Amino acid sequence: MKNIVLALVALVLFSCKNDAKKEQDSQTSQEVNVYTHRHYEADQQLFKKFEEETGIKVNVINASADELIQKMTLEGDKSPADVLITVDAGRLHRAKTAGLLQSVSSNILDSIIPSHMMDTDKNWFALTKRARVIAYAKDRVNPEDLSTYQALTDAKWKNKILVRSSGNIYNQSLLASIIAHQGDDEAKAWAEGVVQNMARTPKGNDRDQIKAVAAGEGDLAIVNTYYVGLLTNSENPEERNVAESVGIFFPNQETTGTHVNVSGAGVAKYAPNKANAIKFIEFLVSEEAQKVFALSNYEYPVNSNVAISETLKNWGTFKEDTINLSLLGENNKKAVILFDEASWK
Amino acid sequence: MRQAGSSDIFSIKNRLLRLKRDSNRWSVVTLFVVFLIAIPVLTISFELFEGPGESWTHIAKNLLVDYVSNSFYLLLVCSVMVLLFGVTTSWLVARYEFPFRKQLEWLLILPLAIPSYIVAYAYAGAFDYGGSLELIQRYFGLEFTRIDVMNRFGLAFVLSISLFPYVYVSTRAFFLNQANNLLEASRLLGVGEFRTFFKLILPLARPAIIAGMILVLMEVLNDYGAAQYFGVNTFTTGIFRSWFSLEEPETAIYLSALLLVLVFALILFEKWQRRKIQYTNESTNTERIYRKQTSKRKQFLIFCIVITPVLFGFFIPVAQLIYWAVLTYSSVFDYSFLMLSLQTFGIAFLTATVTVVFATLLIFSAKWNRIGFIKNLSRLGILGYAIPGAVVAIGIMIPTLALDKWLMGVYESLSGNTTGFLIHGTLFALVYAYAVRFLAVAYNPIESTTLKVSNAIPDASKTLGVGNFKTFFKIEYPLIKTGMLSAFILVFVDVLKELPLTLILKPFQVNTLAVRAFEYASDERVMEAAIPSLFIIFTAAIPVIFLNKLLVSKS
Repeated sequence: MKNIVLALVALVLFSCKNDAKKEQDSQTSQEVNVYTHRHYEADQQLFKKFEEETGIKVNVINASADELIQKMTLEGDKSPADVLITVDAGRLHRAKTAGLLQSVSSNILDSIIPSHMMDTDKNWFALTKRARVIAYAKDRVNPEDLSTYQALTDAKWKNKILVRSSGNIYNQSLLASIIAHQGDDEAKAWAEGVVQNMARTPKGNDRDQIKAVAAGEGDLAIVNTYYVGLLTNSENPEERNVAESVGIFFPNQETTGTHVNVSGAGVAKYAPNKANAIKFIEFLVSEEAQKVFALSNYEYPVNSNVAISETLKNWGTFKEDTINLSLLGENNKKAVILFDEASWK
Repeated sequence: MRQAGSSDIFSIKNRLLRLKRDSNRWSVVTLFVVFLIAIPVLTISFELFEGPGESWTHIAKNLLVDYVSNSFYLLLVCSVMVLLFGVTTSWLVARYEFPFRKQLEWLLILPLAIPSYIVAYAYAGAFDYGGSLELIQRYFGLEFTRIDVMNRFGLAFVLSISLFPYVYVSTRAFFLNQANNLLEASRLLGVGEFRTFFKLILPLARPAIIAGMILVLMEVLNDYGAAQYFGVNTFTTGIFRSWFSLEEPETAIYLSALLLVLVFALILFEKWQRRKIQYTNESTNTERIYRKQTSKRKQFLIFCIVITPVLFGFFIPVAQLIYWAVLTYSSVFDYSFLMLSLQTFGIAFLTATVTVVFATLLIFSAKWNRIGFIKNLSRLGILGYAIPGAVVAIGIMIPTLALDKWLMGVYESLSGNTTGFLIHGTLFALVYAYAVRFLAVAYNPIESTTLKVSNAIPDASKTLGVGNFKTFFKIEYPLIKTGMLSAFILVFVDVLKELPLTLILKPFQVNTLAVRAFEYASDERVMEAAIPSLFIIFTAAIPVIFLNKLLVSKS
């Protein structure tokens, strides 16, 4: 028994020592330290590809964006982080205002990424897009009755709307965009109107909302395209049936455009490997990398030269809201407070 | 008692003299360990004086009622359910012979091995539209009747069913160690089984039961994943909301500090309740446990009662996970899971060892020191368990980073080179963080068995001039070994499923199974999370089964 303990301790300490050494060598050897909220196989695949092509080793810390931002704040100017990747613009904006990111000038990034998809001061850049859409029950809802997010407060949808809790960042961003377009009062009225029409108190995730539509608990669900994609391609036949039974509607086509959110990346203010960090982000928006994002992850690529996946093609093209994404971050906190005041759980 | 006033200076002087007389090196050791463990908790507690951020009025007005009422509801309902599951099963298992008793003894611990948010997902999935229940009902040609588990009661049930083993483990240790001679006496006096249980055993088992209960309640308070998924707003979901959504870490820490006050009150209340009762039993029991033989029918009944919580806490969620694992096997599984399991196992093993040693050191040095308030201080060490792991991580990062930056400065001025962080972001910091968080898990079972060890023998040994250490290894250690083993298992299993601390503090390249499971689950790919979850369960099962054998054979 004692021997086993000793052996294990030795093993663990050894592996730890190796890591410490690697970190110390960071000045000399080529590497890039990535703090990311994205944890998809596609990403790992891309990191590996980047390593092969450039010889720069990618070290990854996975955690939620909030935790990573907190970590970077506490680490301060000694932080080993080079790149921060999140799955929404709001968090990137927060990292920027906390002084954690730095401005990057890269012709490659400027030429590939549309200007509303990057920070006004070029502190961060979008990698992929997701749209917040309305999933409706094909057998009960005529898509012609649908028009905008705003129209969801209409009394005809009483007890029909399914949507997750306001703790979710995609809901917060949606409300933040409504604040930006229409102001606080309208936004609050909208939140209250949706609460009035909810089929149940918010619970579960986006997939659960779609399942509840399929099961008839409500008729409409406000969801993120990415999760519909996951459902459509699920290994579980029951889930594929669910995806079959709902239609996807892109709201606000006649007005401001459908709300989109992005996952994106920024270079850390104190990045020890700044050049590698920029190279890394440039790689992630290259056609080669964007193809992987688009095909394996049901996200819309930011690189317009890359085609979207079959699943997304079936939903058709749409006009997206081109509001600068920084505004989502600026209005995020206000959105949360309005949600609470509207009793959106 | 001395009147305050004129003789203040003398009384202070007297006190200091008495302190000096009473202090010994164990006072210092206790203080040191408490300090080490309590740094993060203290860091957070200090924030209490800073006050909350400006969102506080908003929270107090719109949210607090919900947080408080839901949290108290959970505490209450979970207490009742956990008592029911934990005490009944430990009693039946310790006292009766029935089919599969030996297997059930360790199966009853296994619900702990599944992270409670995974249990929550499994239940939600099983009872969902198109879930397993519907499939089964459809198979039998029945109409689908949906049971909605995603509500307050469902959450309480899920948490209870996955946490009751804390009570089971500590209470069973008591029943195995202690109850025998008492039962014998009670039986000889002609008192019936039921009366003996309620009048004699249950009151005596209280420290053990409470020890387990406190762990459960702390875990219930800091649950985030399950509560958030089920849409139940609790104190902890509130902490995360104010931290992340309202962008006010200070408010989040203020809420955590309030939570700490609540837990501290619970602990003090319990201490006060049992202040006068001495639980040490003069004769230490070493006889083999006597198990009652009953009729076949009664045995079957007992079997059914004992298997129920195992069924709900282990077999049903595991069956659901296996079903998902079969569906996703081809896309998720690869051999790196085996290496990952090994790495996770190693980290958990190391942490459990460190934590058990720390807890034992804390308990005994507090016992050997003679200053009253230091004894009480030792309790402070266990508070880390009540705070959400993410907040503990902050409490750890603030002091370790300060130390690190200082060390880096020293290193730079000495050698002229720069260096990376020496503590932060290493395995050392991670294990330290785990130890802080899980000290309570190790502390309680060890403490409750220590309470059972009569003071007479160690006292005699010390009167004869044998030192504290030697006495400990010769006399106390063999007697509390069961408690230490239970503590080891519990910490081990907890580390396996720990998430927020690991995510924030883990070094580059280090990964655990829980992190892998979380990566899928947080992406709403719960089915894909099934395979890493199953690996967690099987990794946990190894020490649980192995140590349980040791535990049972020793008693």
